[in-house]
Amino acid sequence: MSTTAPENSPLRRFLHNLLQSPWHVRDAALRSGLPTTDRTRSNFVFGNVFLHLHSVRTHRWSLRWSTTWGLGLAATAAFLIALVSGVLLMFYYKPYPEAAYDSIKDIHFVVPTGRFIRNIHRWSANVMVVAVLLHMARAFYTAAYRKPREFNWLIGMGLLVVTLGLSFTGYLLPWDQLAYWAITIGANIAQSPREVTDAVGITETFDPGGLQRELLLGSDIVGEEALIRFYVLHVMLLPLALVSLLAVHFWRIRKDGGMTRPSDADQRLAPKADVYPVFTEAPQKTYQLAAIVKGASPAVGRGPENTVPSMPHLFYAELGVLMLTVLVCLALSMISDAPLKELANPSVPENPAKAPWYFLGLQELVAYSAFMGGVGIPMIVVIGLGLIPFLDREEAETGAWFGGPGGLRLVARSAVFGLASVLGIEAFAIRFGWLREWFPEIPQLVITAVNPGTLLAAIYAAYSLWIVRRYGSARAGALALFTCFLCGFVVLTVIGTHFRGPNWTFYWSPADWPRH
Amino acid sequence: MNKNKHLLLWSSLGALCLLVGAAVQENFLKEWRGIQASIQTDAGPADVRLRQIVAPKLGVTDRCVTCHVGMAPGEQEGSGHPLAAAHGPVGHDPAEFGCTVCHGGQGRATEKADAHGDVRFWPAPMIPTRYAYAGCGSCHTHIRVPGQSELERGRSLLERYDCLACHRVDGRGGTLRPGGVGGMEGPDLSQAGARGFDTRWHEKHLQFAGQPDKAGWQDAFTDIDTAERDSIEAFLTSRVGAPRLVDAKARFHSLGCRGCHKIGGIGGDDGPDLSRVGQRDPGQLDFTHVRGEHTLANWLSEHTRDPARVVSGSKMPKFGLSDDDVDLLTYYMLSLRRSDLPEAYWPKDRIQASRFGQREFSTDGATLFGTFCAACHGDAGQGRRFPGSPPMPAVGNADFLAAARDGFLESTIWLGRPGRRMPAFGEDAGGLRREEVQAIIAHLRREAGVKEPDRLHPLPRWASGDPDRGRSLYDRHCAGCHGARGEGTDAPALNHPLLQATASDDYFVETIRRGRRGTPMEGFGQPSTIHPVLALGDIESIVAYLRTWEKRQ
Amino acid sequence: MTPTTATPRSRLDPEPVARRDFLGIASLASFLAAMLFAGLGVLRLPKAAVLASPAKKFSVALPDSLAAGEAFVPPGRSVAVFRDQEGVYAVSLICTHLGCIVKPGQSGFECPCHGSQFAADGSVLRGPAPKALPWLAVSVRGGECVVDESAIIPAGTKVSG
Repeated sequence: MSTTAPENSPLRRFLHNLLQSPWHVRDAALRSGLPTTDRTRSNFVFGNVFLHLHSVRTHRWSLRWSTTWGLGLAATAAFLIALVSGVLLMFYYKPYPEAAYDSIKDIHFVVPTGRFIRNIHRWSANVMVVAVLLHMARAFYTAAYRKPREFNWLIGMGLLVVTLGLSFTGYLLPWDQLAYWAITIGANIAQSPREVTDAVGITETFDPGGLQRELLLGSDIVGEEALIRFYVLHVMLLPLALVSLLAVHFWRIRKDGGMTRPSDADQRLAPKADVYPVFTEAPQKTYQLAAIVKGASPAVGRGPENTVPSMPHLFYAELGVLMLTVLVCLALSMISDAPLKELANPSVPENPAKAPWYFLGLQELVAYSAFMGGVGIPMIVVIGLGLIPFLDREEAETGAWFGGPGGLRLVARSAVFGLASVLGIEAFAIRFGWLREWFPEIPQLVITAVNPGTLLAAIYAAYSLWIVRRYGSARAGALALFTCFLCGFVVLTVIGTHFRGPNWTFYWSPADWPRH
Repeated sequence: MNKNKHLLLWSSLGALCLLVGAAVQENFLKEWRGIQASIQTDAGPADVRLRQIVAPKLGVTDRCVTCHVGMAPGEQEGSGHPLAAAHGPVGHDPAEFGCTVCHGGQGRATEKADAHGDVRFWPAPMIPTRYAYAGCGSCHTHIRVPGQSELERGRSLLERYDCLACHRVDGRGGTLRPGGVGGMEGPDLSQAGARGFDTRWHEKHLQFAGQPDKAGWQDAFTDIDTAERDSIEAFLTSRVGAPRLVDAKARFHSLGCRGCHKIGGIGGDDGPDLSRVGQRDPGQLDFTHVRGEHTLANWLSEHTRDPARVVSGSKMPKFGLSDDDVDLLTYYMLSLRRSDLPEAYWPKDRIQASRFGQREFSTDGATLFGTFCAACHGDAGQGRRFPGSPPMPAVGNADFLAAARDGFLESTIWLGRPGRRMPAFGEDAGGLRREEVQAIIAHLRREAGVKEPDRLHPLPRWASGDPDRGRSLYDRHCAGCHGARGEGTDAPALNHPLLQATASDDYFVETIRRGRRGTPMEGFGQPSTIHPVLALGDIESIVAYLRTWEKRQ
Repeated sequence: MTPTTATPRSRLDPEPVARRDFLGIASLASFLAAMLFAGLGVLRLPKAAVLASPAKKFSVALPDSLAAGEAFVPPGRSVAVFRDQEGVYAVSLICTHLGCIVKPGQSGFECPCHGSQFAADGSVLRGPAPKALPWLAVSVRGGECVVDESAIIPAGTKVSG
């Protein structure tokens, strides 16, 4: 489009440049022209600050739906949706106790599209939690945490924690009864190390529980100080943390060699006509950072055959998952409104007072021991998950679903075992009660140490160790443990969500709850 | 790779459809848009937009006028929809006070169910229309009402003197000369209590009646005596534009409810404080045993009708109230909703009550008795008996009043009977003042025609007798009702420390001797078919025995 | 820092670092020290020096009709005040488990959140509560009792008055 500038008159030259400036701006932005050929597309991806988190070419294995099911992308998409809708809500939300409640009412009733945006925010947060959990399960079951991706698995654990933190802090903001009592319980869980320090008798000198609660609430009650703290965490600190971790997470995907794929991936892919090699053979020796630094990059030994340009193939997939997530969030938002109960009332507790659903598994454990259910077991789980890549140093069947000794059979067996033990323990505790009901004088430390939560953790750990011995493989043990953990999480969450009513009593259905 | 293109295509199309749907819902399908679109005003069709009344000091953001368009500030009455009607004439301009201050409901909402508050999680639904004036109670917590009988007397005097021929009161009367032709029709008196009226009205009327040119007046208006004038004025003072609320309050204060329930710190404490009962959240109430709709009004009326059915284990007796009673009591209870408004918004009577201690009820003995005593002791002091509770003493009984001295009665009302059902009404506990307690006693004496008895003996404690003999007599004649230890199973508790401390021997001796005619308590001084006549010495022995309980307390 | 050896250095060899680069070490160490100190200071901020919580001490007049063992809950407070023959006492209504408000009932207290039950003296009967409901300091002044929510006293201490 750009023609050579006429030389004859400065004025005409000026006019010509003025008319041409839109195209010049475009050329300045794109540098290498329109992305129409593989080469210019590659340049486009490479030269764009956002896109260059992708590699220029993507392996066809990575684009198979069954490789990742797009779960990480869905989580990111849900985060972006929550980010956009959250920023919009900030225009109207007032982080001050009663004004907060009123502003949510305003958002609900008079802010144009306010109700819809709030629903989208709430549903995208839920979708994000689900996607993050499933993404973690996918990464585990395809053994994608293995070398060289161990550190990225740890970053992922961090992202899980931050995601849950975002949900938890967002829960208080409407300042209704639901929010108030869920946060009261949450803040007291933070204080629950006192259960141990009190029992040992050192709370006076060493009180991490009290400190945590105070830092969280900024006061000794859930009040305006707590609200502004949760607000700052929810709209500033945690999103910043999440974005930073996310950037590292993406960066490491690229630097750790892209999606995990089994060693025989190239053989298993059907030949494709339009894929042509860009190099004649795989590099036998590439150095990092243009050979200034020593050490082989993960690209060594992996040929470019079976790769396709990221643009447009990968971007179609990414946009597709993004829009699918948008669609799901929109549909859920149209079906169901985000809840808003009565204005928070510090003297009348909600009954039952329930946290967001993904915490109800923990709340079920908390109903036996606050410290173990709320702090001890979550920490054991996070540490245990974090240790997996360092205990499982095997290499076989990386990238394959349920790869490892025993495979899907072992997973199925572990699932049966995991379900049976969690259901058994819960049924027993619900039917017969727990230690305090039989021995009212029992010391608290005993209950803290021996309760359905710790018992379950011990059973799962013992089972996994037995599997390690039986299969002679850490991967087998990890498969067993992770599957058991997943089953326990699901069952406890379902019990906490559906089967617990007023006074945390067991009910077969919420329809059986006594009406006040 | 077409799979991904399909994914993108169909997801995007789906999202687009949903967004279009949301946009249609947002911009065309809102309930209030339909209402506003159908309204025509003189200036043409009404603007379709959200309307609201904001009064920050009252904490009001009311969007009720988004649908009730005719009531919106600066809006004229329209036609084409019932909601286009303007608000009826009221003392408080809705544009200044908003809607929810009086009517309740959820002002921020813009959809009918939410706005009227008949939804879960909204604690303050609208007050039903038939109890609409209960909303006045949010601020007018101290509407002054005369006693029930005084009110009735005023009303009937107004009828008897045919005042309604010229005046209009609460929508009745004033029909003789429609349109005020001939200057005969007097002003509407429905709000005379709020706007005030000429205190020299009687003289003026007489003056008019004496003028020759006022032909009709000579027959129509005659002299009215002072007592009747007072009654008429008391009635007029209570005409504040909420006639049924005033009736409800007067009825409430004649049925003795405040004997057990405190309102604003005044009343007994045998039952829950009712100061804010009209603000209770229906979501927190138990409707398991309530017939009919799940509203606060229905709960209150069902509970008033039969307390123990609605709240199992309730100590409140079933009074057998009429439907009208129940309706009026419900009305008054719904009006007990004092909001914490800034003092600048307080009405005069509330300020007078809080600053200068003025009463919202009439402080004559009859009204006080009706307000604080009638529920348990009967409207004429005849005593009452409720299942599951010892009988309530007949305090209007002539024999009782002939045995009890005023000081004893006063301390009994003042201190109550802790541990029994009689609450303490003294200023610190129940909020009654000395002169009010004395007015109650004077009322009892006036009604029964019994003066304060003279002392039999100069000393309060004089009975000398043999407690052992007293004990055997007591066991034979008294223990059946008063209990083996005087604990008062089916009659007053005689071992109560406060009774022992305040009752003189005179009182005991006289009560045993006279008995209380009309109650199961027989007099032991007179011949009877069921027990022997006891000599004074025997009675003294019984008293001596009663006194042994005091020492062991 | 000119290379003293004559052998040419490859581009891939690490750049030699002087064994005692005092200036470098000192600058990095000071940087770390400054950052560490700043970090400590930043961490100090979120822990409030004074808690913005309302007064913990309040006075309440008990109704005369209050029966022995019957709980009186002053409006807006999470404390049950009792009176019996031995005197007045106050029990906190904040569940020791996770801070819900327990409901005083016929024979003790019940927590709506996780089903803890407490005896009339506050001791745990069942449920997850780790310890008894604390008794709070009460003093009787005139006709009123003054309850101090921040002062925990041994269970069973009743104040006559």
